This record gives sequence, C-alpha cells and structure tokens, in this order.
Amino acid sequence: MTPDPREAAETRRAPRPRRTITTAFVVSRIAVLAVAAAILLYAAPPLIATRSWIGLGVLFGATAVIGYLYLTRRYVPAKYLIPGTVFLLAFQVFPVLYTVTTAFTNFGDGHRGDKAAAIAAIERGSVRQAPGSPEYQLTTAMRGSDLVFLLVDPDTKQVSLGDAAGLSPLTGAEVGVTGKVLRAPGVTVLTAPEAAARADEIAALAVPTDAGAIKASGLSRAFEGRAALAYEEGCDCLRGEGGPWRADESRGYFVNAAGDRLAQGWQVNVGFDNFARVLTNPTISGYFLGVFAWNSVFALASVAGTFALGMAVALALHHPRMRGTKVYRIALILPYAMPSFAMLLVWRDMFNRDFGLINQMLGLDVDWLGGVTTARLAVVLVNLWLGFPYMFLVTTGALQAIPRELTEAAAIDGATPWKAFRQVTLPLLLVALTPLLISSFAFNFNNFNAIQLTTEGGPFPAENPQVGGTDLLITYTFRLAFGTGGAQFGFAAAISVFIFAIVAIVSAVAFRRTRKQEEVYA
Amino acid sequence: MKLAFRHAFVLVVCAFAIFPILFVVSAAINPLGTLASTELLPTGASFTNFGELLTSDVYPFGRWFFNSVFIALLSSFASLLLSMFAAYAFSRMRFAGRRVGLLALLLIQMFPQFLAIVTIFMIFTEVTELYPAFGFDTVWGLMLLYLGGALGVNTWLMKGFLDTVPKELDEAATVDGATHAQVFWRIIMPLVTPILAVTALLAFITTMSEFLMANVFLRDPESKTLAVGMYGMIAGDRRNENFGMFAAATLLTAIPTVSVFLWLQKYIVSGLTSGAVKG
Amino acid sequence: MRKRALGVAALTTLALTACGGSDPAAAPSAAPSESASAAPASGKLVIWADPNRVKALAPFADQFGTENGVTVEVKEISKDNQQTFLTASQQGSGPDVMIGAHDWIGNLVQNGAIEPVSLTEEQKAAFSDVAIKAVTFDGQIYGAPYAVENIALIRNTDLAPDAPATIEEMVATGKKLKDDGKVQEILCLPVGQKGDAFHVYPLFAAGGGKLFGATPSGDPDPKQVLVGSEGSVKAFGKLRDLGEKGDGALKTSITNENYISSFAGQKCAYLISGPWAMGDVRKGGFGYDITPVPTFEGGDPATPFVGVQSFFVAAKGQNKTLAQEFVTNYVTNKDVAKALYEADPRPPALTEALEEVKAADADAGKFMEAGKEGMPMPAIPEMQAVWDPFGIAEAAIVKGGDAAKAAAAAQKTIDGSLKN
Repeated sequence: MTPDPREAAETRRAPRPRRTITTAFVVSRIAVLAVAAAILLYAAPPLIATRSWIGLGVLFGATAVIGYLYLTRRYVPAKYLIPGTVFLLAFQVFPVLYTVTTAFTNFGDGHRGDKAAAIAAIERGSVRQAPGSPEYQLTTAMRGSDLVFLLVDPDTKQVSLGDAAGLSPLTGAEVGVTGKVLRAPGVTVLTAPEAAARADEIAALAVPTDAGAIKASGLSRAFEGRAALAYEEGCDCLRGEGGPWRADESRGYFVNAAGDRLAQGWQVNVGFDNFARVLTNPTISGYFLGVFAWNSVFALASVAGTFALGMAVALALHHPRMRGTKVYRIALILPYAMPSFAMLLVWRDMFNRDFGLINQMLGLDVDWLGGVTTARLAVVLVNLWLGFPYMFLVTTGALQAIPRELTEAAAIDGATPWKAFRQVTLPLLLVALTPLLISSFAFNFNNFNAIQLTTEGGPFPAENPQVGGTDLLITYTFRLAFGTGGAQFGFAAAISVFIFAIVAIVSAVAFRRTRKQEEVYA
Repeated sequence: MKLAFRHAFVLVVCAFAIFPILFVVSAAINPLGTLASTELLPTGASFTNFGELLTSDVYPFGRWFFNSVFIALLSSFASLLLSMFAAYAFSRMRFAGRRVGLLALLLIQMFPQFLAIVTIFMIFTEVTELYPAFGFDTVWGLMLLYLGGALGVNTWLMKGFLDTVPKELDEAATVDGATHAQVFWRIIMPLVTPILAVTALLAFITTMSEFLMANVFLRDPESKTLAVGMYGMIAGDRRNENFGMFAAATLLTAIPTVSVFLWLQKYIVSGLTSGAVKG
Repeated sequence: MRKRALGVAALTTLALTACGGSDPAAAPSAAPSESASAAPASGKLVIWADPNRVKALAPFADQFGTENGVTVEVKEISKDNQQTFLTASQQGSGPDVMIGAHDWIGNLVQNGAIEPVSLTEEQKAAFSDVAIKAVTFDGQIYGAPYAVENIALIRNTDLAPDAPATIEEMVATGKKLKDDGKVQEILCLPVGQKGDAFHVYPLFAAGGGKLFGATPSGDPDPKQVLVGSEGSVKAFGKLRDLGEKGDGALKTSITNENYISSFAGQKCAYLISGPWAMGDVRKGGFGYDITPVPTFEGGDPATPFVGVQSFFVAAKGQNKTLAQEFVTNYVTNKDVAKALYEADPRPPALTEALEEVKAADADAGKFMEAGKEGMPMPAIPEMQAVWDPFGIAEAAIVKGGDAAKAAAAAQKTIDGSLKN
C-alpha cells in the first residue's frame, strides 16, 4: 500500500534532473570569487586613501550582491542581465535622471556653480591695482621655514621684504640684471623649480599694506591691490563699488538698487518655471505644433523610405540564383560605412544652388536648401541615402532566419511571389524587425545631426528667425537653449522632457500594438 | 528575365548609393582638391592628397586609424557580448519586469541627451582621480562609456531573432542535463550567427563614427580617433584648405568598416536554421 | 574544453588581480574644492588648445617646464572648445591654461571660469591697442593676446589691377568682368542660408548699421540693441541692393565652404576674408593685393570685426600660479609670438613681433592696416543672441526680402531672448 504513494511522489520528482557538482561548476565559482577579489583589490585602496567611506561602502555592497548572484544557482536571468544593465544605469539612465532634475534649475551659463564659487570669482575679478603703486618684481625666498617675498621696485630698484606682517625695506640684497634678487641676508632665495613646487603657498601669501595687499601674480611679479567688492555674510551681500549688491536667490544673481546685476551668478532651483516657459512663451508654443508635425512626418518618411528601399534590395538579392551578390552588398553598405557627418556635409554642398553637383548634373537652378518644400525633400533624400543600408543589412539577416521551406511551400500551394511575400515573408520579417522600426522612428525623430549638418534647421523665414522649415523639435530646442546669451541647460532639459514624453507615448502605444504580434508568432 | 529585372533594380540602387562617394573620390584624387572645383567623375588622378594626409605632421592619421580600429573592434565585441546575454534573458526566460525592462530599453534611447557631456564629466572626473587608468585621456575609459550603449536597439534585434529559434531545442537540451550556460553557448548562439554578425557590424560602424564623446575624452593628438581628428581638420575656417585631405581621410575611414563587413559576410548569409529545424 | 576555458578565465583574473594590486593607485590628488584655495600643486601644467596650435606650442611648453621644474602637457580639443572647457572646469577636470578667442571672455567671466591676467604697463604697451582693448572686460584684462585677425578685401590683381575706392566701384568692376566672361561671380563674400554676420559686418557698418549702443566707457551696451534701428534698416536696404534681386554681388549660394576656393579658382575677382584664406589664395598662383574693405559712396567707415586669439588662465585649474606665470611672463615674449605665427599665420598681437613678421611677409602688415579702424567683436555674453537672428535677416534680405520687416523681426527675436 505505502510504496505506491512514495513511487508516485518519486515519479513526480523525476523530470527535474539532479544537479551534480561538476568541475565546471567549481571552476566557474572560483573564477567569480577571483574576479570579485581582483575588483576589490584594485578599487578599494584609492577610496580608502581619500577617505570616501560611502564610496567604499557602495563598492563592497555592490561586489557582495553581484558576487552572491553569480555564486548561487538561482537568479539565472539576473546573471545575464547584470553586466549590460550596470553600464546602462551608469551612462544612460543616470544622465536621464540628471536631466530631469536639471529641468527644475536654472543651470546654464552664468549659473553653473554654487554661490560660494560666484562670490569668489566676483571678488577675484574686482581686484584693482592700487593707483601709483609699483609693479614689483618678485623673488620668493625662505626665511627659516616661512615663505617670504623679496620685492624689487623696478623704478627705484629698492628691495623690500614682504611677509604676513607687512612690508619692510631690506638692505644688503644683491639684485641681478633681470631684476631678480640673487642673494639676501637672512633668507635663502628659491630657484625657479623650488618656487614652482611651492606655488600654492606663494598664491596664498598676502602682504598687508595701507592700500590693500600685495599678492603674487605668477612666480615673478607682484602687485599691490585691493578687491573692490567684498562679501558680507550678515547682509548676504557684496559691499563695494556699485552699491550693495544683494543676493537674489530666486534668480541666482547679485543685484543692486538700480537693477543692474553682476555677471557671475549661481545655480538655483526655479521649480516649474522652465516648463511654464515652454508652454506659455508665444515664440515657443506658437510654433510647437508646426514643428512637431513636420518632425513626425520626417521620422515616418525616413523609416518608411529606408525600410521599403532596404527591404526591396534585400529581397532582390535573396534569390538563390542571384549572381554577384557579394559585390552588390559591398556597394550597398558603402553609404553606411562612410563617416556620416562627413557625408552629411558633402550632401549639403551637393545641394548648393550655383556650385552644387545636383544642379550641375541635372541642369537645374533650384535653390534646394532655400525653399521650404525643396529643403524638406532634400533632407528626406539624404536620410534615405544614409539609412537604407542599415535596413538592408538587418533585413538580409532576418531573411536568413526564414526557412526557405516556407516560401517553397507557399509556391507549391500556388501563391504568386507577391502573395507569398505578403502572407509569409513580410509577417515573419515584421516580427523580428518591428522593434527596430519603432526604434528607427525614435532615432529619426531626434536625428539632430541629419538636420543640423545639412540645413541647420533652415530655411528661415525673415519674420521668424527662430523656427526654420526643416527644424525638428530637437534642433529647435538646441537653438533656443544654446543660441541665446549662452547655454541654458535647465531650459533645454525641460524641453527634452516634453520631447521625450511625446516620443515615449507614441512608441509605447506602437509597442503595445505589436505585443499581439509577438504572442502569435513567437 | 526576372533575374534581369532584379539586376537592373539593384544596379539603380547601387548607383544611388555610390554617386556621392564618387564625388568624394574625385575630390580626394584631385590635386587641387577643393569643394568648388570638383566634378562627379574624377579628373586628374593624383595621390598627393593621400600622401599629404599620411605624412602630415599636424594630423597623425596613421595613429588615428589604429586608435579607431582598436577601440571599435574591442568595444563592439564587448557590446555584442553584453547585448547577447541580455537578449537571451529577455527571450528565453520569464521574470518579473521583463516586459517593462524591454520597453524601458527602447525608451531610454529616445531621451534627448543634451546633458550627457555634463554627466560624463561628473562621473569621469571622479574616476580619473581614483582610477586614472580608466579616466580621461585613456582608451579604456572611453570603451567603458561605449558599453553604456550596449543594451539598446541591438538587444531588441537579437531578441527578435532568438524568438524565432524554437524553444523545443532548449527544452530538449535541458532534459539531456545541460545547464543554462551550456544551452546558451552550445545550442543557441551557433544558431543566430547571422544576427550576431550584423550586430557586431552595426556596433563597429557606430563606434567608428562616434565623435562627441571621443572629442571630450581623448585629448592627445596622438590618441584621437578618426572621427575626432577629421572633425578637427574641417573645424573653423580651414574647411577649404583641407578638403582634399578630408576627402582622402573619409575614404580611408571607410576601409575598416568594409573589411569587417567582408569578413562577416559569410556569417550573415549562411542560412543556418536548416540544421536545427529539420532535426 | 569547457574546463580549459574556465581555467584560462580564472588564471586571467588572477593575473589581473596581480596587475591591479601593483597599480600605483597611491597618492591620488585630493578632490578639488570650490573655495579660493585650490588643490595642492601637482607639478603639472595642462594647456588646452585647438588642433592648429598644439604643435607650435609644444617646444615652448617644454622649455617652460624645464625652467620651472614642472611637466607641461598640451592637449587638443577638436570641437566645442568653449563649452568643453566650461563643463570640464566646473567639474574640476579642466586645464590650467586655455587658448581661445577674445569674444569668449564675457561668457567665461560670467561662469567664473577665468581669472584676470595681470600685465605690467610695459607689457601692455608692447601689444597693439586693439588687442588690449579686445581682452579687456569690465575694466580688467582677462587674457594675454597673441594674434589679431580681421577681414580685408583681397583682390585678384591680374583681373582687377586697381584697388576700388568705394563699394560701388568694386561692384561695377566686378560686373564688367562678369559680363566679359572673365569671372563667374562679382564678389566672393559668404552668405549661406543662415547669413554670416562676421563677413558682412563691414558692409553693414558702411551702410550705417549698428548692433549695440555704447556705454559711457565705450563698450557695447547690451541693453540697447540697435539691429532694428533706422540706421540699420537703411544699411540692410543697401545690402538688399547688392543682393540677388539687385546687383547680384551677394548671393546665398556663396558659403563659407566655397568662397575661398572660388576666389582661388579665379571665379571671382574680389574676396572678403581674413589671413586664414591666404594659404589657398597663394596656391591659386595669381597676383593679389590686400586693402581695407571699402565703404559706400558717402557712407560710414566699413569697420571690420577684429578677433583676438589669447591665452586664458583657468580660475578652477590646479595650478593657477604657474598658469599666471606662463601666460603673463612667458607667452608675452617675442619668440613665442613668432613661432605661433609660423604655425598658424595670423598677425601677432605683439607689436615687435608684428614688425619682424611684416618685414618677411607684407600680407600680415596689410591685414593689420585694414583692421586699424576695426572693432573688436563684442565679448559680452549677449552677443550670442545676436549672431543667428542677424544672419537670418541678412540671408532673407540678400534673397530680396523686405529690409524693414527683416530688421524688425531680428530685433524682436533678440529682445525676446535677452529678456529671458
């Protein structure tokens, strides 16, 4: 009686093969441990030396987790995904997150650093030489263990000694012909390399005088000067010439009573201002739809065109009795093999009205890049040229995966080649290639180079220099953000978020539709 | 007869593909090599531009060539591996977040990366301090950066192909006692060599033309890649003076890519599924 | 075979471990802080230049290095030099010395990226006035100039033996040559689809146009944009007359890519360009002469833009003292100026060097003559907002558009972007 249930239980367990400890298993685990040890040995010492305990913690934590993942038998998918994902996170995901956070700030030219850096730069830039003071020639020397300046007035040739206490005349110093002090009592003159090694001390030493302080400028000169602006913490402002400059935290500038501002600013959080600007600024929101429409058309036309042409050629060459396929293939991928930015510039010059190849060959006088429709045609053509080899390649690869038996069977069943293509080949191709098409759409939607290097977004109507006939959202953004008074990264980031939202939604919708395809065929 | 049409069609497309390149060729071998004075068909054959390019002091073209090929080969190979692993996992295994992960891969590529350079500097300034061997001005740092793009469209491409390989093969092997690693290396990978070859080629081409990151990373004249070096040749107002050399450089840059393609051709066109399916 | 493969993998990782262990990972420089006291000197001076100047600078960099016992590295950035410099500096991995154009100064200063350079009175006197003026911003000198460049009128003396006194004369001669079939175009001045403010500015100024008003100290005043003012509209009108619907001297199909080679190929008799064109021009093998850009009959002076290439001291560099030493006391000597001239023929800013160069190469002197009344390109950051709208207005006008409308649109755009 009892053996039956046991036997039943055993048979139920039988399909799972027993995992034995093989040599391969042992060696692979040792390899994992060795790699982990190597990484720790290499990466830990610098972190310890700089006392970055957080970094060290992260390193140990990450190594432990990943090591564990590879040591156990479980978590098989993770083993395959981890290597690529680590890099993806570091170099693709992190920039995206950073961009999104930047969209809420005013990061850009004039606002790159923090307030302390701005104050330091303002103070440094406001140092003015005391009027009438000599432009000293500097020789650095050591008095005991302290650094001192030996200053020679070029007009009177008088030598003074400057230290943290002040300036005092020095007698008995021997001055060379170039103005450098060769010897002086009580101090050891430093040679040039020695002085260079102490560059920081030299920069830090300020000899106080009535008119301000004497500081070194380089290694062989010194000036007496005073900063015209000085920061006062109590009022959070800079006092000095131009009146008290108060810190404006909402804009990241120092402003005075008259409304002027100092050039150096700092990065501040501006909340949703950048996003609001995108939506409310008439020069942006007014033209947005138009640019978006053309952008979509361009991306669709590029994908459709390159796919159609690439696929057509791949199919044409796919015939078993086709000769010379090797040579054809090389010719056909040449556009893709040539450096793309170089060829974009070449195409641009070919479209030149008076000197370009196209007009010369066809005997026309069309201002290709000067008219909106012709410019659009031109960029689509260029993109077609650049992109069809890629589609050709992947279609060729995809065609290899379709067993010839299928098309043969269709032929036997009496289907015409076109029908066989439509019902058999095309669906199978699309299964493999749909994600590529979607991705190609996304790539061309944001194809900055293709537009920038050929037309720079033009042609531009005189009434509106901001938006050109072939502008994509991304070139438009680029011009808005970087073409005006310096780079405005925060603003660009906000527009990027909008662009991304649009493209992502479109792609996600397309993706969902193909989901059904995948389940049927795969 | 039908074959003739095929040939004719392919020839037309080839002509379309080649004519701008012919223009570049004629500029390259035209001793006066300037843009305004070149015609489509080469006039006056002379290799002075090539000679100037290869012996130039200012442009160490040979070094650029070597650097580019080296970086492109290594990084495309590494990218291929990473991509392969991920595609296998997405295709063959079922785990939480698979669908989302796939979609995410696609979507991340679509984000306009204006601030990429800033983040690269943020990351690599630290790296250069702690681990100079992988920091700025090193080839290894740049390759690490390129690996960031390994998981992307190519993963999708490979996953799509892996999906067409029947799962019965996996199951048969597992029943016979194979581990997942053995199934991966011994059974699946040999079946998808066409797509591996295509992906390798695409990764190679992309890396060869990449210049934004390489410009920022490699700063010694000797360590630059072809794309960066060539951009330097035409930057600013020197465009015309160097166009002949630039055209010559453009042509020479295509050589590694075409060579890799020739080498991979046999993998791309070997219809291999016949063996597996029949069995 | 699997075991062997894994064994090899294990051995490789062990080897890597050994390498990693012996790596000189010790003594990394401490993280640079944002405060005034920078990182401790690391005995290294890093200079960033563009590809054309690296080779010329190298020997002097080495010499400076030996004299002061430091290593000097000259690195090259091919593209986006200014932005790369700013981003790198901000993150702490920028150079100590940067080479660039003077009109970067406004932007570099507002980002706190460069420090004032202290030149003695003697040193200042050794440079040409326009060079010093160009590198002065907000009353401080921010760079050590080394080359000055401006555009002039280069003409083919085989085709047009006499220098034109006015623009009208030049156009008339050019038309005649074109009618006789000796040239294809009247004038080689780049316009392109987006215009080119830099090259057309002398003609614009000659017609009475202005970009900015002036502050009391004579600097361009960003609060007064005069692109849409009456004088500028008049100037645009004159450009329209020269354009495609008028005399045909200005054409949008002449671009930066083809204008020099067209002149060198004798397709036009007159070229408006700078010293960088001379390489190709000489290759053309014909006689040429360089004169200032003429003005209209009864017009204002045709002031060309002057661009000054200079050395900057990075404020966030690791070695500011050495950088100051290099820039103020080393670069300002004659031999360095001459060597840089030899590598990249732009007239030196140092008067002494210029004299010597003029003796050997008359062209440099002629360019300087043409630029005597020149105006340094405005270095204020607001200038960035002007280039594109101005250029587009110019292109539209050259194609025959309405001058007033185009000027007004440009003015509106510039105002809009500066307000933000």
